Amino acid sequence: MTTELNKQSLQNAYLIMRRIREFEERLHVEFATGEIPGFVHLYAGEEASATGVIMHLRSEDYLASTHRGHGHCIAKGLDVRTMMAEIYGKKPGICGGKGGSMHVADLHLGMLGANGIVGGGGPLICGAALAAKVKRTDNVAVCFFGDGASNQGTILESLNLASVWRLPAIFVAENNGYAEATAARWSVATGNIADRAAAFDMPGAIVDGHDFFAVYEAAGEAIDRARAGGGPSLIEVKVNRYFGHFEGDQQTYRGVDEVKKIRETKDCLMLFRQRVTKQGLLTGEELDLIDDQVRAEIEEAVAFAKAAPKPQASDLLTDVYVAYA
Amino acid sequence: MEHRDKILVGIVTNPASGRDIRRLVSCASLFPTSEKVSMATRVIAALGAFGVDEVFLMPDHSGIAGGVLRAVRSHAARATDRWPEVRFIFQEVEQTANDTRRAVRAMLAKGVRTIVVLGGDGTHRVVASECGSIPLVTLSTGTNNVFPDLREATVAGMAAALCATGRIDHKSICRRNKRLNVCLGDRCEIALVDVAISRSRYVGSRAVWEPDDLSEIFVTFAEPDAVGLSSIAGLMRPTGRDVAEGCHVRLDSQSPEQWLCAPIGPGLICVWPVREVVALPPGVITKIGLKRGTVALDGEREIEFGPDEFPLVWLDREGPLTVDVRRTLDLAAGEGLLRKRANTSLAKNPS
Repeated sequence: MTTELNKQSLQNAYLIMRRIREFEERLHVEFATGEIPGFVHLYAGEEASATGVIMHLRSEDYLASTHRGHGHCIAKGLDVRTMMAEIYGKKPGICGGKGGSMHVADLHLGMLGANGIVGGGGPLICGAALAAKVKRTDNVAVCFFGDGASNQGTILESLNLASVWRLPAIFVAENNGYAEATAARWSVATGNIADRAAAFDMPGAIVDGHDFFAVYEAAGEAIDRARAGGGPSLIEVKVNRYFGHFEGDQQTYRGVDEVKKIRETKDCLMLFRQRVTKQGLLTGEELDLIDDQVRAEIEEAVAFAKAAPKPQASDLLTDVYVAYA
Repeated sequence: MEHRDKILVGIVTNPASGRDIRRLVSCASLFPTSEKVSMATRVIAALGAFGVDEVFLMPDHSGIAGGVLRAVRSHAARATDRWPEVRFIFQEVEQTANDTRRAVRAMLAKGVRTIVVLGGDGTHRVVASECGSIPLVTLSTGTNNVFPDLREATVAGMAAALCATGRIDHKSICRRNKRLNVCLGDRCEIALVDVAISRSRYVGSRAVWEPDDLSEIFVTFAEPDAVGLSSIAGLMRPTGRDVAEGCHVRLDSQSPEQWLCAPIGPGLICVWPVREVVALPPGVITKIGLKRGTVALDGEREIEFGPDEFPLVWLDREGPLTVDVRRTLDLAAGEGLLRKRANTSLAKNPS
């Protein structure tokens, strides 16, 4: 099975998850200072999903993300310093400080971008996957979307298109239980998003998004299948977000202590640490070192972002058009 | 007017069954919520028609409880036949197997006489760990199930009603099943069909499908026409549900005695390196010697064990009571229990 990761891969998985967590928890603190423009939607709690899926991808594989996209970007290998600067709206940001949190992208790494349009990633990966198929590469394209986006026409049309064209596309529904403040159990007609796969003639599976190994296994099978020409798949990852829909959301729609209980019992980093140390594959000290490394890395990223210059008025007229040379 | 206690039945529907990774690694089909709702509704209709007063269901976040509620309201608005009162166990939904455990305990506290289970081998295992001597009517909604019946829910509901109302004696329709016990330290679990020892270090996506991962398999019964892990024993040493012993399969890809083709999942036939297949007598405790790995219960990895841990496995006959649906209806037909006078309502005069 695909769970048999070597020590280096296990360390890498933990590093990515910890990096996402630290990045998001630090943003949660920094956003409250008022220095960060625009909206921020944090991914903390869902790290095992991004990491378990994206660890199977190569830089030539394409990825379309969501408004809650920092975790996907970090897992795809984007630089946290320039990501942080982007979120601060600074000129050295990965998109020149013009995109902000919801438009972090790096096409060199196959990252088609976080996306301010709910459900906007589905059509993008159909195009990317079609390109891979036409060029006869074995690249794949992955789209993350949430339970709210699962009800959008764009996602349903993309599932249909990917199926009829048998595209190497993987649709990953991160069902964190709430579309903004609306509970998925009130708004997803089939109860489980994965149930919809049958209607589009593709396999659909549900995995526990708190368990990195569960996500890693399922994603590995779906991605291998797509690379081999087996067509698209739909994976529903059941997850929980630790913060509000956006920073500032009071979350009055959630139960008392709901998040606290999830953090205490299902936290993906905690479960990962318990498992690998029990199996004697990594030690607590080795994981602590990663924690320290990441903490310093994010500290440095924040300092870099804060010190960086803002774009100038003249920057308004650059990057407006794209040359398809 | 003669007083009688209300006749209560529980229905457990696992919202998670039929959707695991086997959709990706085999040709397993997806079992949608809508079909589970439909099956539960058909069970309810049959329970009402044959004299059950109240039905208890578990709540969930996948739309099963909501779908059943809509069906009940819709029925009440237009139909004339009698359905039982449908109630829901009041509990927080964790979206884990613990929901099923707590719901079954609550149903027992309410006084249900029979529980209808819609799920796979794993769901039945969880219910069996809590249901005590309350008979189960089993219905398959999972993937490559062996323990539960694959049959029409209406008929299962009829048998459940005949059992719950006591119109047919339990002794003539209920079977006491075997079970496998697994203990690791303080943790003890059961399995109704098979226990597999996997080299895979993590529970992960739970399903087991690769021959190289497994070192041994214990089964309570083994049918040659089964699909899943027990099919390996079933194709080598068929073992009935009613005999005392089970079966123990050792796998060894380094020095197999023989290679066996067996279906591990829908459309997924693997070649298994079989070292030996022997009888598993009740009460004999086997200590697992694998250095680290996972224990799969009824086809799903559940317990991770490390280098200094040694799971213990043994068979006994303390599994759940299950209702033989065919025999129940056979007896009902023979005794004329389902006959009615012309124009009499099933609902108002169930006997």
